[in-house]
Amino acid sequence: MTTLTIPRIDSVHAAVADAGIHLEITGLTKRYGQFTALRDIDLAIREGEFVCFLGPSGCGKTTLLRAIAGLAPQSEGRIVQYGRDISRLPPQARDFGIVFQSYALFPNLTVFDNVAYGLRNRRDERHLMRQRVAELLALVDLSGSEGKYPVALSGGQQQRVALVRALATEPGLLLLDEPLSALDARVRVHLRSQIKALQARLGVTTIMVTHDQEEALAMADRIVVMNHGVIEQVGTPAEIYRHPASAFVAEFIGSMNFLDCQPEGGHGLRLGEHRLDCAAHHCADHERVRLAIRPEAVQLCARDEGLSARVDHVEFLGAFLRVSLTLEASGQALTADVAVRDGERLGLERGMTLGVRLPAEAMRLFPGQEARA
Amino acid sequence: MIAGASSWPARLSGESLIRLLALLLALGLLVVGLLFPLAAMLIKSVQDRAGDFIGLANFARYVQTPALAGSIVNSLTVALTSTVIVVSLAFLCAYGITRTCMPGKRLFRMLATLPILAPSLLPAISLVYLFGNQGWFREALMGESIYGPIGIVMGMCFWIFPHALMLLVTALANSDARLYEAAEALGTPKWRSFLTITLPGARYGLISCAFVVFTMAITDFGVPKIIGGQFSVLATDVYRQVVGQQNFQMGAVVSVILLAPALVSFAVDRWIQRRQVAQLSARAVPWQPSPSPLRDWTFAALCYGVAAIILTVIGTAIYASLVQFWPYDLTLTLQHYAFEALAGGGWTAWFNSLTLAFSVATIGTLVIFFNAWLIEKSDGYRALRQGLHFLAMLPMAVPGMVLGLAYIFFFNQPDNPLNWIYGTLIILVLNTLVHFYTVCHLTSVTALKQLDPEFEAVGASLKVPFWTTFRRVTLPVSLPAVLDISIYLFVNTMTTVSAVVFLYTSDTRLASVAVMHLDEAGYFASAAAMAVLIFFTSLAVKLAHATISYLLLTRAQHWRQAS
Repeated sequence: MTTLTIPRIDSVHAAVADAGIHLEITGLTKRYGQFTALRDIDLAIREGEFVCFLGPSGCGKTTLLRAIAGLAPQSEGRIVQYGRDISRLPPQARDFGIVFQSYALFPNLTVFDNVAYGLRNRRDERHLMRQRVAELLALVDLSGSEGKYPVALSGGQQQRVALVRALATEPGLLLLDEPLSALDARVRVHLRSQIKALQARLGVTTIMVTHDQEEALAMADRIVVMNHGVIEQVGTPAEIYRHPASAFVAEFIGSMNFLDCQPEGGHGLRLGEHRLDCAAHHCADHERVRLAIRPEAVQLCARDEGLSARVDHVEFLGAFLRVSLTLEASGQALTADVAVRDGERLGLERGMTLGVRLPAEAMRLFPGQEARA
Repeated sequence: MIAGASSWPARLSGESLIRLLALLLALGLLVVGLLFPLAAMLIKSVQDRAGDFIGLANFARYVQTPALAGSIVNSLTVALTSTVIVVSLAFLCAYGITRTCMPGKRLFRMLATLPILAPSLLPAISLVYLFGNQGWFREALMGESIYGPIGIVMGMCFWIFPHALMLLVTALANSDARLYEAAEALGTPKWRSFLTITLPGARYGLISCAFVVFTMAITDFGVPKIIGGQFSVLATDVYRQVVGQQNFQMGAVVSVILLAPALVSFAVDRWIQRRQVAQLSARAVPWQPSPSPLRDWTFAALCYGVAAIILTVIGTAIYASLVQFWPYDLTLTLQHYAFEALAGGGWTAWFNSLTLAFSVATIGTLVIFFNAWLIEKSDGYRALRQGLHFLAMLPMAVPGMVLGLAYIFFFNQPDNPLNWIYGTLIILVLNTLVHFYTVCHLTSVTALKQLDPEFEAVGASLKVPFWTTFRRVTLPVSLPAVLDISIYLFVNTMTTVSAVVFLYTSDTRLASVAVMHLDEAGYFASAAAMAVLIFFTSLAVKLAHATISYLLLTRAQHWRQAS
């Protein structure tokens, strides 16, 4: 499932070269009996980076996180942290803090005791510990909650306590397992920026597992998109969004139109009776390919200026209009997002016919459906 | 952080080594306390008196001896009759508690648990007073003797009823109001929704309950010992062969036979438990009964009738222990509580029982809960943990008589390095702990499953040793279950006869065994007195326990309530 467009320089390897590597995973495989949850994973994470593991449920992202933590040891492969091989070490011997989806706050301990849980063990002096807990709670706007029990806190507050508990021992690596998924949408958005700001401030290398692409795009320095136990793509949010490496990534991140077409020469495609210009590709003319284009990249124009298409449906989504179209030549469906003003200018209404332009720079080509099998 | 890295692996291997050692220790406990003795017993059943292997000759001789083989039929008859009576009665009472608006539910439930606090010898003694040759209700038996199957069934029913009631209340409490509303909307008559919704919903609970009752009835020793007369059952045969005739081989044979029905019902019960899990839906809405005077008062009358019988039986034992000479001289006296000159060990035995019960309750609670935690919350050593779980489930299938006899065979061998514990309080503690292991294990596992599965992972990520997380979080959060286990162990240890009857010595006589000896020696009033003493001891400790639990759970556990 590789992209058919000529690949750009792999930004991952280029970037790894100039920043220190915090964690390096090579050839990691995890099997549960007959089922392979992770297959031959290679990944390098830089010092101070915020990385998101993104993918649908069952893709192996949580398994990978638990392997890094030592909670679900891998079947094969190596994990190296700061140049130290931690592959076979149990969780206690690894350097990380973790926040679980359930937070796993100790219900019988106060907020203070929860945050100090890992500190107490170091036999720090009492007043130093108190000072440290106060600092940590101040970081997440929870000063004064020391004496409360978790049950008396809101979900967002519990989440923040779990976060500073994980940070209290100053781990080199912070692992977040779907930390926001149990929260209301509004709290989630607020906490998202708070966690990101805190991470940037402390500079702690962070891995977050999420199935929410919006969350990943908003928070991550780099996103690792996973599916069926393999990594589909690693890249910055913009790279992932603009240059998806596979049809899966293209479809999973944001919305995407797919149109079946045939290559025609090195720079062209045939879509029904039209020939489209596109970026350089190296597909033979008889292959079937899929053209992918984001709805916001589709341009609507007068009927005679592009591919003619019929308007099936216009959805008003506040900031923009989502237009469902059928291309008249091939009968394929296409969605376009247009600004409200442009829609008004064109006089959009159901049943009308207009023109569609597909800019070459916004297109991506992927193997056709049958080729994928 | 990086500087400290080199010291972690060393400490860590220490920590997982300790965990492994603890698991092996738990395994050792159950292997030595359960598997080895059972193996010793199986071996004994295929040996002759000289200790040579003779195959199944002992079993052949057993089958050919009518006096022995007849006990199988006797046991089955008595156990099946008791099962039918107890399950139907308990089902009706449980239905009254869960599905009607009958008044006084809590009082009834309290009264219905009273029989658990007494040894099974107590109802037998009371029944002799009520229906025996000098009994007030002798005519009610229409010429039949209370000594025999009638008495055994009556005594069993009294003693087992509370257990059946608890199981069936749980089974019937799991109702889904939505099903009843749907039935009502479709115009289904009440009797039909009972047959199509209530009964199927409780069917696993009912089957499970029937097997538990059957197992208890077929393995109980106390009731038939007192009231069985010439009617022998398997449990009394084991005792008679071993203590009466010193025929250990035949004792082993009868034990193996006694083990069979218990093993079958154990297997069926496990199978049902597994099925039941899938049946419950998390989205069920509990059904609330609405008042219906005729139904409510019918069930109230039934339940109060049962409660009256329970109070009568216990009251008879108390009264009989307090009068000069039943039924001729009914002046009150405490003389039957002066056990010193009589058989059985008297107050020393009572004190021993108390020591044993406290020891088992404290040691057993900690050991069983900690082992359950090791099994449930460790990762790695999968095979070891599964083996441990199986061993923890097994004691439920081993009748007390069998376990006690097995201990003689195993620990009384002169070449056994643990031979020194034979005849001490230690062997009694070990035996009782293993005997009641399963229910405590299941209670622990249920409580542990309700905890966040990531507590241990969080503790490990914060570099806190696992035993600290166990002490600071797991144990306090599971306190209600831990308290339940401790009182369960205390009461059962206080009242049990079957296993310990083979293991006490003159230094370690026990109150429950003393009841039996007093009865054997003809001191019926003192036997009643000792049984009553056990009952009130259990009751007092249970009340004290309830008070302490209440204080602990409300004061020290205020983290449970949001405020």
